[in-house]
Amino acid sequence: MRVQEPCVVASWPSVPVEIVRAAGFRPVIVRGASGPTPAADVHLEPGIFPSRIRQLVENALTGRLADAARIVIPRTSDADYKCYLYLREFARRGVTTALGPVVLFDLLQSRGSDVPAYDVARTRALLDELSSAAGRMPAADDLRTEITRANTARAAVRRLVALRRVVPRVAGTEAFPLLAAFWEMEPDRYAKMASDAATKIAARPPLAGPRVLLTGAPVDGQTLHEAIESHGAVVVDEVGPWGSGAAGNDVRIDDDPVAALADKYRADAIGARTPVDSLRRLTGSLLDEVDAVVVSLPPDDAVFGWDYPGLRDVLQARGIPHVCLRGDPHEEPTAADHAALGAMVSAASRLQEARHG
Amino acid sequence: MADAQLNATLAASAFQKQWFADLRRRVFDDRQPYALLQADVPFELFDLVDIPAVSNQWWAAIVAAKRQAPKFLDAMDADGLHGDLCRYCSLGYASTRYAGAGDPPWGGLPTPRLLCARLTCDCIHRVFELWADTFGAELFEIDHPGAGDLPPRWWELGRHHWRELVEPHRLAFVVSTLERLVERLEAISGRALDRDALRERLELVNQQEEVFDAVRRLIAAAPQCPVRMTEQITNVMATQWVRGSEWALAHARAFHDEVKQRVDEGVAACPGERARLMWIGVGLWHDTGFYTAFEQSHRAVFVWSMYLAFGPDGYIRYGLDDPMAALASRTASFNEYLHNPPWAAEWIVHQAREHRIDGALVLRPRSMKPAATGRLFIERALEDAGIPVLPIEAGVVDAREWDADGARADVRSFLETRVLQ
Repeated sequence: MRVQEPCVVASWPSVPVEIVRAAGFRPVIVRGASGPTPAADVHLEPGIFPSRIRQLVENALTGRLADAARIVIPRTSDADYKCYLYLREFARRGVTTALGPVVLFDLLQSRGSDVPAYDVARTRALLDELSSAAGRMPAADDLRTEITRANTARAAVRRLVALRRVVPRVAGTEAFPLLAAFWEMEPDRYAKMASDAATKIAARPPLAGPRVLLTGAPVDGQTLHEAIESHGAVVVDEVGPWGSGAAGNDVRIDDDPVAALADKYRADAIGARTPVDSLRRLTGSLLDEVDAVVVSLPPDDAVFGWDYPGLRDVLQARGIPHVCLRGDPHEEPTAADHAALGAMVSAASRLQEARHG
Repeated sequence: MADAQLNATLAASAFQKQWFADLRRRVFDDRQPYALLQADVPFELFDLVDIPAVSNQWWAAIVAAKRQAPKFLDAMDADGLHGDLCRYCSLGYASTRYAGAGDPPWGGLPTPRLLCARLTCDCIHRVFELWADTFGAELFEIDHPGAGDLPPRWWELGRHHWRELVEPHRLAFVVSTLERLVERLEAISGRALDRDALRERLELVNQQEEVFDAVRRLIAAAPQCPVRMTEQITNVMATQWVRGSEWALAHARAFHDEVKQRVDEGVAACPGERARLMWIGVGLWHDTGFYTAFEQSHRAVFVWSMYLAFGPDGYIRYGLDDPMAALASRTASFNEYLHNPPWAAEWIVHQAREHRIDGALVLRPRSMKPAATGRLFIERALEDAGIPVLPIEAGVVDAREWDADGARADVRSFLETRVLQ
């Protein structure tokens, strides 16, 4: 990845892309990858930071983020916050001099009555910061325009999502990158691309095979989709911001677009600090439309594993087969993982056949 | 040689056991409410409305010290909670959720009326929600806004310039959250928080920490360390959970006087001291003998841990015209100072120099991800300052994979090859 102006780099899609675009920048959101990160490994403790943070720090330390107008780290997880502190420390100690300014976007997600006002203020501070980088302050109408464009793109996301659920007509491996592109692609182009894709997919016959929900720590790549679908299943949903969760609800358009964006991202951003009851409700609402569940709990997970015993009990009570994978989701699963996936798909297929006679 | 424990240490241990027995009596016999808290929650607010509070970390340390942790940790594993999830902050939960798996100390935790945690690490919300569900009790969360301004020498601002230490928007947010907490506590206890009493309590906390500051200076300046690190911890922690109380202040003074007497009389924890060590990280609660294991063989003594040192720098707040704001300024960044850049490395190097440290042992905690961050910055800063570092990998409450002999051999080798040359 080599970032060039005018870009704003973020560590997770919980930074309002509408604000980034209204300020005149293109959002670039770092994702995990399977490649080595030798520069980052010198400073990041092993087993703690997810792949996307290691990739971001690797890029930061090798000068590839030097031209970023701002590097925005949202308070989406402890790993993101620590990444912010580390990047600031690299700059302070002169570990790297080729690093764009680093900004914390301190969006909180807990249920306290004082949180919404705090988030509005921090979102306004982000707008000020990016405006300062751009040299111009967008008007409220500029923000409303970007919200409208992004909402149009969200509608296209939802059309694609509808073609995955209940009677899937598109494999997860194909759908995931189409959905993930929502975050970085220019919204008008995205809306057209996604709508064209949806029209073509709608004409396809339904896909056979058990429908799988991918949950646990949110995935930001499709390696697991490929592994699951290699056994004849179809990944029809993911709990996370990169796949079916990319759109969420529309951002309301009203007198205070900054407040509307703060409310939207607090409520919809999916990550380690999303309130557990929200995630539980979301996951529960998806179980009616799936035949099996894959739970991804990578070695850096410190959060989503706590939800596993409760989810397992629900799945067992409902007779939904599941597999828990502990590997890095950017790496090909092990032979043992594949065997477990194969067994899960077989069990789900038998249940599917029994249900449909 | 200071083989005998300080009278203060014996009194501290006895106080904790009696305090817990009194708590159980109040809860079971008198049906009074109590609260279960993360260690960084402001305990003062609970005590001032007469709701006694138990620290999660203190309870975890007691469970581990009573050798009960492996049974509860095995039960967590068996229930599908993978081994990379934090075991320190969740051991208390496990002792409740899987109570039948072991023998919780002193009869176990009674059901609290309220649980309260600061959402520092991402997992705390999960652990405390599961714990609250298990008890059928209420959970109050104090969210943790991130710091944008990062003054490296934070301890120079904390006492007199605490408003400069925390950005105004973060300070206001934490104040607002603490006010909501107070409303909840008042509703539970039926008692109103007396703001003058809060100011007086924080003044007493200041006095208590000033006493510990004096103890810290005694230890740093004495020709040989007068009191073992394990005894320092026992005395500090017993007072920390009831800080600012009459007993806590009196105990801190008694502890100080005994340490001073030892210094005056030239008593050393390890006579013929040759190496002064610091322990960086949470205590190794299941093997506290580790900290005295190198006295006979190498005349190496643990002089410093964060437990005594952090109180004076982390808690003292002068200028208490707005006591809630002062309390919030202490609460806002509590954990970051201990672990993360730029704060932790700067402070620890400063402390190492003050205490004439010859070598540092840095915990690499297993199954405790949040406390493991920042470690490489600390190790590098110490080495750059000329202080040799030995990382020690261990679970702080989990003895199951602890190689006690291997770790001791590593320390002996470290002392011989890097410290005592």
